[in-house]
This record gives sequence, structure tokens and C-alpha cells, in this order.
Amino acid sequence: MEGNPKTYFVFNERSILISYNCPTNSKLISNISNTKKRIVTHMNDCIVDIVQSINSILVIFDRTKISADDLIKKLKRIEETEDDLSKYNKIWQIPVCYNFKYAVDLENLAKEKKLSPSEIINIHKSKVYDVLSMGFLPGFMYMGFTNEKLHCERKEIPSLNIKKGSIGIALNQTCIYSQDSPGGWHIIGISPLDFFDLKSKNPCFAKPGDKIQFIEISGKKYQQMKKENLVKPIYK
Amino acid sequence: MIKVIQPGLFTTIQDGGRHGYRNIGIPTSGFMDQESAWAANKIVNNEKNESLFEITLTGPTLVFNGNYVISITGGDFNPLINKLPVKMYQPINVKLGDTLKLNNTINGARCYIAISGGLKVKSIFGSKSFFSNITDSYYLKKNDEIKVSKKSKNKILKWDRFNFKLNRSMEVFKGPEFDLLSSNSKNKLFKNEFTISTNNRMAYNLVEKLQVGTKSIISSPVLPGSVQLTPSGKMIILHRDCQTTGGYPRILQLNISSLNYLSQLKSTDKIKLRLINL
Repeated sequence: MEGNPKTYFVFNERSILISYNCPTNSKLISNISNTKKRIVTHMNDCIVDIVQSINSILVIFDRTKISADDLIKKLKRIEETEDDLSKYNKIWQIPVCYNFKYAVDLENLAKEKKLSPSEIINIHKSKVYDVLSMGFLPGFMYMGFTNEKLHCERKEIPSLNIKKGSIGIALNQTCIYSQDSPGGWHIIGISPLDFFDLKSKNPCFAKPGDKIQFIEISGKKYQQMKKENLVKPIYK
Repeated sequence: MIKVIQPGLFTTIQDGGRHGYRNIGIPTSGFMDQESAWAANKIVNNEKNESLFEITLTGPTLVFNGNYVISITGGDFNPLINKLPVKMYQPINVKLGDTLKLNNTINGARCYIAISGGLKVKSIFGSKSFFSNITDSYYLKKNDEIKVSKKSKNKILKWDRFNFKLNRSMEVFKGPEFDLLSSNSKNKLFKNEFTISTNNRMAYNLVEKLQVGTKSIISSPVLPGSVQLTPSGKMIILHRDCQTTGGYPRILQLNISSLNYLSQLKSTDKIKLRLINL
């Protein structure tokens, strides 16, 4: 972690925010997810909750078990340990159908970016993305970073009903809507997979720090996978 | 079993909250006013984070299909059992067929009804707290029937040392983006009063605006009690059901007890912010 200037900010009586003041890139994401894993592994007994984001980690701790000062000391020590847990990060292959039927904003976005729809699709699926963080909805994934050609603002008027499984792009990121929801991202495809399973003890198969690769499928395949309902995500 | 005759404005089941899932975007939820909820549970000899009913602004009418010991704490909603007034902050024996009616609030925004034993509803990710898309319902509806967990707690203690007080002075820490504020804004924050606008379990909006044009930040972790500043100058105080991350600058953070106090205030109430050090 050398070279990453970090600050430890006392956020409230029972939370510490670790901020990384350096460029947000894939290396930082993997450092952060590595640190987060170490905290969970080594300090599980005094941690209530932990949130990983693009350039910070929020640690919520149990005040009856540790003080903020002692926690910061422990966190600093953990940052110095050598064990690399990032090898456990998975690359998930996510099937995506880019048909206009589901990719409701693809044509407009293509016009705006002066690209053809198939160019957008090719640029989008040609990269392996990091899961940066989850939020907004249970299981909603923020992934980055997209090719500069795809960078765009959110839509001026958000859509009221985005379908579960929809793949969006905005800013320098791409996302997956884990549930039906309103939202402002440009929708360029849909995946038949379930990204949030309430009935499972492990409701999200992918986690911040994992990687995502989009695999294009046809509309027919999408319908078929949707019907089978038992399609399990695959990883390498 | 407890039957909902009228649900009131927004009556939910809450407990100590859902912990350990913020990283996948699941809010913590749980009691808005922890102190009042904990008191309600203590009075009926429950664990302090046991599930109970949380009532907002206008109370429900409930019928008990069994004999239970209950308690009512928090804001005063003029509680009546079989049309007769009952005291808050003490154990109450209710019998099969009794009707509990809570009216409009006289004082405070939320009150709590605890039942000895707790409520028997499905626990999802370690909590019974209602939340949309996590639990089957987000608020109680007419004719809902809620089971009570059977626990023969023998001794119910008499508690009279609780009392309820409104507090409009919010103690705050500096948030991570506090220094994005101009010195003029910082002065205003701690000198002026602010008025509560629309509010719910997710957030309390404030009426008065602060500086305009503060840029968004990289989407970052937030907590209940985080005060966000939008580009239009609007301030939002996040509460128990808030999202786990957000892109607005986090200028302040309410301390734990102020968050409880805030949950007893309503639209048009005024608050003062007071900066404290950790």
C-alpha cells in the first residue's frame, strides 16, 4: 500500500472512515478490497458493518469492544501486513442481451456520442470491469471504469421504471439494476441473471473487489435463460 | 395475536436493525428513536433490541387476541384502551379482546408499543425491521395479524424513571467534506435556526438553503445522521433507512443521541446545530 496517502477520519462515535487520496484506478480498487478483506478476516469480533467504496472504507465498530483510538491503531497495523487476499477475487461472466427491445437508451446514446449502437456494444463488452461498490438498491453494482468514449452524464430525465437486470452507463461507470427501479443511467442492455436473492444467506454472488466480464447473448437466449430461472452465474 | 383494525399513518415493525449488509447496499433500518424503543422493551422485560411497533404521527387501532403485557413509550399519542386513557412508560396488562387506540400525536413524532416476548414475524438478514424490497411489507395494513412470540417472562418490573423530552438542539461533528463550506456558510450553520421540511425514515430535509453550487463527490459511504449538501444548497439529514453510499458532500454528522432527538421532530419544527468534538 506504499505511496497511497491515507487518512483516518473519525466519522461518528462508532465509525472510522479510511480515505485514499490518490487517483481512482483499478490498482486502488484492488488495494481497497484487499484491505477490506483483511479487516473482516482479522477484526471480525469488533466490527459491526463495513462499507467499501471507490476511494474509501467505512468501518462501523462495536464501542463495547474497542475504542476509536485502538481501532485506528489496529487498522494501521492491518494495512502493513503482507497477506494478499485479492487472489480470492473472482471474475464473473455476465450474459447480456443488447437488443433494442431492452436497451431502451442505446439509440439515443449512440446519437449523442456520435457512435453506432454496435460500436457502443463492442466498446462496452471489450473490457473487464471492477465492482467498485454497491448501494442505491440492495445488490445494485457500480462498475468501472468504462472506456472514455462511453463517458456521459446521467439522463436529464430519469426513467420511472427500469427493469431488473438492466445494464446502465453514466459518468465513467457501468451498473446493473438488481431490482425494478426508477433511475437515471442510460440503459444499453439486460442480463437474465438474479443479482439479489433474498432467500440466500449470500444474497449477492458478486462483491465489491470482484471483476465482471459481459458476454453478449441473443434475445432468444435471454428469453430462454430467463425461463430456466436456474441459470447460475459462472466465474473463472 | 394482534389484529390491525386501523393501521394509522405509517406503522411499522422495527428492531435493533440489520447489521453487516451495508456493503451490498442493504440499509441498517431499525428503531428511529432508539432510546424510546429501548425503554419500551425494558419495561416489558424484553431484550432492548427486540421487535416492536413504531408509530408515526397518527396512531393505529389494534385488538389483542390474547392476554399480554405491553408498554407504550416515546411521543404522546393519547393512548386509550377500551376508550379509557392509559399511562405511558409502565407495564400494562391487556386482555383478550381489548382494543388499543392511539390518536394523533400531542407531543413528538413517534411512539413505540412493545409486547412482552416480542413480535413473531420473519427475520430477514438478521432483522425483523420492515424495509421495502427486503421484508414482505413496508408498513402495516388494515386486517394484518401479527403473532406474538411466546415467552413466559415472569417478573415485570415497575419502571418510573423514564421520561420523554423533546430536544431541538442537535450536536454535530464535522463531516469529511466540512471544509468545502465557505466561512460564511460555516457561520450560518451554527448561528441560524433551520426548519424541518418533508421527512421520513430515510431522510429529513431542511427548508433553509446554504451555499449553492457545491460540487458532488465520488459516491462515498454515508450513515444515518450524515448531513448532505446538494448543489442547489439544500441540506438533507439522512436517517435509519438511508442508502449506504451517496454523492453529495457530507458536511456534518449528527451524534448518536441527536439522531434519536431528530426522529421525534416533525415538519415546520426548528432545530439548532451545535458543533462538538469527538
